Amino acid sequence: MASEGELGRKWDRCLADSAVKLGAGFGLGIVFSVIFFKRKTWPITFGSGMGLGMAYSNCQHDFQSPYLLHGKFVKVS
Amino acid sequence: TVAAFDSFRFVIKGSVAGAAVFVVYEQGLLGSGAQGAEALQKARAALPPAVQEWTSYMGWEVRTAPLPPTPKLDFSPSDSWNKGVHVVMSALSVAPTRACEYTAQGWKYVRDLVK
Repeated sequence: MASEGELGRKWDRCLADSAVKLGAGFGLGIVFSVIFFKRKTWPITFGSGMGLGMAYSNCQHDFQSPYLLHGKFVKVS
Repeated sequence: TVAAFDSFRFVIKGSVAGAAVFVVYEQGLLGSGAQGAEALQKARAALPPAVQEWTSYMGWEVRTAPLPPTPKLDFSPSDSWNKGVHVVMSALSVAPTRACEYTAQGWKYVRDLVK
């Protein structure tokens, strides 16, 4: 796997995940709108927005992943 | 009895909503980016056979000629973007030469018309 293709693969993953999360948020928004909120529009918008926000967060984490350091404290007795 | 019916209705609604959330979570649609991309791949792979099954169930298969094959949905946005950039840049790099050629051809055509 070429390293210069890694950025392209990350973009592909990000766009695919955005589509999935937008669809899932939209779908759940429709379910909640029909079941609980008398077919109002705002739950659908809210669900779609939440899905997009989750996708943005995942993309940000994926693009920044080489630079995110995960450490743990080791107590020296 | 009205209160019992209302609470029963609320339980049914809550169950349906909870089941929807559970299915979405179970399919990995709310997880990391890799899980979401994997879920999309699975959906893409499952779509053509599902379309095939539905068309045969609805009886839409034409007896005289077979339906065209279901298109492959393997698509990489980054590859398409890169190809597009290459095409645009190649076109821009040959644009001045082509413009000169077309101008010369046009000028020659007009001169021949005027003769």
